[in-house]
Amino acid sequence: MRRNYRNRVWASVTSRDNALLADLQRVLGDRVRADSAERALLRRDASVFEGGDAGPTCLCETTEEVQQVVRIALAHGRAVVPRGAGTGLAGGAIPLGAPVVISLSRMNRIVDVDTESRIAWVEPGVVNLDLTKHLTPLGYHFAPDPSSQQVCTIGGNVGNNSGGPHCLAYGVTNAHILAIEVVLADGEIVTLGGLDAEPSGYDLRGVFVGGEGMLGITTKVAVRITPNPPAVRTLLLSFDTPRDAAATVSAVIAAGIVPAAMEVMDQRITIAVENYVNVGYPRDAGAVLLAEVDGLPDGVEIDAQRISDIGRAHGATDVRQAQSDEERMLLWKGRKTAFGAVAQIAPNYYLHDTVVPRSKLADTLEEVYRIADEHDLAVVNVFHAGDGNLHPLLLFNGQEPGIYDRVHAAGAKIVEASLAAGGVLSGEHGIGVEKQPYMRQMFSDDDLDHQERLRHAFDPACRSNPGKVIPVGHSCADIQSLRATPEGVWG
Amino acid sequence: MDLGIDPDRLGTCVQCGLCLSSCPTYRVTGDETFSPRGRIALMRQVQLHDAPLTPEVTEAFDTCIQCLGCEPACPSVVPYGHFIEATRTALTEHRGSRKRAIALWPLTKPRLLRLGSTLLAIAQRLRLVPARLGLPRRLPLRQPPHRTSGTDVYLFTGCVMDVWQREVHFATQRVLEAAGFGVTPTGDSAGCCGALHTHAGLAADGERLTERVDAALDLNIPIVVNSAGCGAHLKQHSSHQIFDAQEFLAEHLDRLPDVTPLDLTVAIQDPCHLRHVQRAHLPTRTLLKKFVRNVTELDDDGLCCGAGGAYSVLQPDMSQQVRDRKVASIERSNPDLVASANPGCSMHLAAAGVAIDHPMVIIDNALTRR
Ligand SMILES: Cc1cc2nc3c(=O)[nH]c(=O)nc-3n(C[C@H](O)[C@H](O)[C@H](O)COP(=O)(O)OP(=O)(O)OC[C@H]3O[C@@H](n4cnc5c(N)ncnc54)[C@H](O)[C@@H]3O)c2cc1C
Ligand code: SF4
Ligand code: SF4
Repeated sequence: MRRNYRNRVWASVTSRDNALLADLQRVLGDRVRADSAERALLRRDASVFEGGDAGPTCLCETTEEVQQVVRIALAHGRAVVPRGAGTGLAGGAIPLGAPVVISLSRMNRIVDVDTESRIAWVEPGVVNLDLTKHLTPLGYHFAPDPSSQQVCTIGGNVGNNSGGPHCLAYGVTNAHILAIEVVLADGEIVTLGGLDAEPSGYDLRGVFVGGEGMLGITTKVAVRITPNPPAVRTLLLSFDTPRDAAATVSAVIAAGIVPAAMEVMDQRITIAVENYVNVGYPRDAGAVLLAEVDGLPDGVEIDAQRISDIGRAHGATDVRQAQSDEERMLLWKGRKTAFGAVAQIAPNYYLHDTVVPRSKLADTLEEVYRIADEHDLAVVNVFHAGDGNLHPLLLFNGQEPGIYDRVHAAGAKIVEASLAAGGVLSGEHGIGVEKQPYMRQMFSDDDLDHQERLRHAFDPACRSNPGKVIPVGHSCADIQSLRATPEGVWG
Repeated sequence: MDLGIDPDRLGTCVQCGLCLSSCPTYRVTGDETFSPRGRIALMRQVQLHDAPLTPEVTEAFDTCIQCLGCEPACPSVVPYGHFIEATRTALTEHRGSRKRAIALWPLTKPRLLRLGSTLLAIAQRLRLVPARLGLPRRLPLRQPPHRTSGTDVYLFTGCVMDVWQREVHFATQRVLEAAGFGVTPTGDSAGCCGALHTHAGLAADGERLTERVDAALDLNIPIVVNSAGCGAHLKQHSSHQIFDAQEFLAEHLDRLPDVTPLDLTVAIQDPCHLRHVQRAHLPTRTLLKKFVRNVTELDDDGLCCGAGGAYSVLQPDMSQQVRDRKVASIERSNPDLVASANPGCSMHLAAAGVAIDHPMVIIDNALTRR
């Protein structure tokens, strides 16, 4: 699974690169980096996948710069890869074929906020949480809140159509994007979508969101901003088993309540999280459910009580309500840093992201624990229970010989089990290179042909982030694009 | 090259990137090489895979401000501070440590330091000192001596601060006395704590200096430190009871007299070594609220100001970019005055035109109504 696309650890700049570099430097000056340190660092995002060395990295600051870099790369026959904060978990931003990496992190201006029409124009490098902080004094926030929100960028959210705990009630990124300015693979600048309630024509904006950088590079985004709810209640329910927690989640939804968020963590991860945040997560519970309701004060009071009752009816051993904003924030901080906190248990993790129907949640979970056992691996579970989005984390020590094969095998079994339960491949982290090999299990050749054609409509030469999502062997042009890279810079 | 980092601990970083936004150098560059995640990955490459120490790799390490903003942000509790200290030490040995050792040597010689400072003060008056060095705007020509008022607590006087900002020590002492504590300033016998040496990769020298502090002082008397950097270092390396001045006084708030608060809005700029290392930044708020009309927070979650001990001199470009970001945040909050409990940070920000004082000076002003 750890795909090493090249053996040499440190690549040198080839003579072909020099011509490319000179052209890039003319546009960006010292905001181009091509030293061996940078090229090696950008091989990875937050996933376990490792690409080849990056080609030159361009720290662009304007749409025009992105356009020029795309054109220069094209002229040199090189692919481009957009990169936000590199927190993706499916390897979407890793370089294949020594592409020119276009880093959007410096394009981080909040261009305009219009509270009347509830729209903000932002650049793609704006950090998700920075946008919400900017909006807080105005009484608004940006609803998609991936657990990585303190660092991930709006461009990355668009690229992966990211979700977050509060997307249960508010919808994932796609529901909050109105218009996108895009630099296409040939350098043309277009705006997809629009600010009207019902823009005319096909919804190309909707196509682009979740495009994982393969349909072009977004350089400006109009996002919908959401008014802050007048009242919020956050509950922490403890259970003896993850099954009880999962059953509670199903029962809450069946009762017609739409909580803002419902998140489950099992015992081991709860302990690791508590070690970090110290807010009183129970160390002895088999699982905890973090549930939040928001809306008008009377309504949230009633909903909180009902969730608490349903929980107790399904075996909750304790129900606690956050008493202050500070406590609420700390509880969420715990949940949102859970992936990182696992390093307290083992130095490496492989995080899966599948979705199963809520009714199958408890069974699939047990299957996940069984699969991990069978492969002699530790597993912890943290998940967006409300929408059946499972996040099993397989924990291991990467130094152990042969370990990646075992992790890979267990991962494949988990995906199989989720698909067998009627689920889908990815909840929110995208396909990237991670889920690429599983695409055939989910889609027929016909489906894949259509996806491929859509891609070609945006990027006929497959120059934008090639080698991802669409399975190798299905996408000839991608392979050609990777092969087209000159000898010696194959990453 | 062996950087001397425990390989198991080096393995605890899972590359999640959750620390990126808390890193001032990543914030201003947007470049992975200047991020904690990037620096750790480079340490791994160098130590575990024998990657060469190219100029870019050493630049990545040299530009780290050692603010440790990345530590509290890391859910894996990666001990980045240890990593970078070890890396700096290994690099200093690799490059030869003479230059830095010589540059820091005067800190251990108080008389020499005072003489140098007087010469500088004269040079300043003759307009021979360029402003970009970031020195206090008017160094004192002559210092009144310290006085002892009792043995309830030590006031740690240190090295540079005692020469350049002795008035902050006097203010701290008056506030401690107002709370009824008899104070012994530590003076030349205890001397420098060794923090700057340790940060510069001269760990052995740093340790020797801390030992000298320990040996000179009575183990039973708490040491109050009003420089966040020295306090952090002493808390980690000394065997004595060390308290930050605000931390100590917030515990004894009721012993401080009630006075009319100063009619000021004060924004708090937490020194990194108080917030991220000592994690004792909240008492400053508790204390100041009693003595000024309005205390406000900056909107950048305690991001570093770019001072970083000798960093502002060694990495002037990066340091100024980081400071610009901080100054913009201060301007958005628009206070009458900024409070910072570290002499280096105050000097660095004052050089950019920020009105800034040590919290002890502000409280002393409220108590004595000046
Ligand atoms: C601890 C942790 C928790 C996480 N929690 C969640 C979660 O709760 N929900 C969730 O959905 N995800 C989660 N993620 C995954 C990840 O944070 C999200 O996918 C995030 O949106 C990625 O943003 P980024 O800026 O890091 O993008 P990157 O990783 O840099 O890029 C992601 C993809 O988008 C493309 N891209 C980036 N910028 C642009 C652009 N300007 N134009 C076009 N394409 C672009 C890239 O090529 C790549 O394919 C988590 C990750 C971590 C490490
Ligand atoms: S230092 Fe911590 S927060 Fe930063 S990438 Fe490593 S594990 Fe994540
Ligand atoms: S110590 Fe400060 S400058 Fe260095 S990596 Fe951590 S956050 Fe960045």
